[in-house]
Amino acid sequence: MSIFGNKEKEQNSSEEKFTFPHASEDQVNQSTLAQDIQIHGSVEAKDYINFDGSITGTIKAKTVNLGRSSYVKGSVTADQITVEGEVDGDIQGKDVYIKSSAKIKGTIRYSNIDIQDGSIINADLTIS
Amino acid sequence: MSETENESQEIVNNDLNSNDSKTLVIGSGVRMEGKIDGAMNSDIAGTFNGKIKSDSINVSQTGVFNGDITGSDINISGKVEGTIDSDEQLNINQSADIKGTIEYTSLKVSYGARVQGRIQHKGVVHSFNNVEEHVYNNNLEEDVPNESNEDNI
Repeated sequence: MSIFGNKEKEQNSSEEKFTFPHASEDQVNQSTLAQDIQIHGSVEAKDYINFDGSITGTIKAKTVNLGRSSYVKGSVTADQITVEGEVDGDIQGKDVYIKSSAKIKGTIRYSNIDIQDGSIINADLTIS
Repeated sequence: MSETENESQEIVNNDLNSNDSKTLVIGSGVRMEGKIDGAMNSDIAGTFNGKIKSDSINVSQTGVFNGDITGSDINISGKVEGTIDSDEQLNINQSADIKGTIEYTSLKVSYGARVQGRIQHKGVVHSFNNVEEHVYNNNLEEDVPNESNEDNI
């Protein structure tokens, strides 16, 4: 460990922070987690997560899109959140879009919200 | 001549509005308190404190409502503090500002509306006629998801 550490420090003494090799500022990273994925824990991304699986835990990103087959037990935090699936827990976002197929139980904290006909919501809403 | 014609036309229109049966209009700037029941169409553009029960209720942009709203089709564009109970369609428009408890069957909230408080879906409104039917439905699947699927289609 220490040997590698020293080498890196010698090579990139000016760069202290680790950056992903392909991440440039104008590039938007998109991650898709498909229907058959099950997560116990947390998922975090800098940009965009397209989530269709089920998770017990937390999702954090700039933009989170919860697809029709998604199930979240826990919390979702993002600037922009679109919910098409099921959420049991806390949603926190600046822009929250709830689609007709969504089922939500828990709390929603938002700055702007848009709710479509047909969604089933049992939640406490607060404006942040 | 033309001006008087216009005026008389306006009066006729007003008469028509007030003669519509079971219609309630609280104009903007009007303050009212109390309990309203038996109305079909209600339009609240003024300030109302109390309870209202009407088939269709519209709280327009200038409307301020404090109390309980019960109805089927409800449109909110103004300010509401209290409870809203809708049996059919509840539309919360962009200019709306709502604090309180909402019970709904079908809900649409436009981007920009302010909604604070508890939102509750009414779920299965119809009750099962007999136990057999209930058991039958339960054996098929859980009854709540079935209901939601019907709603979506």
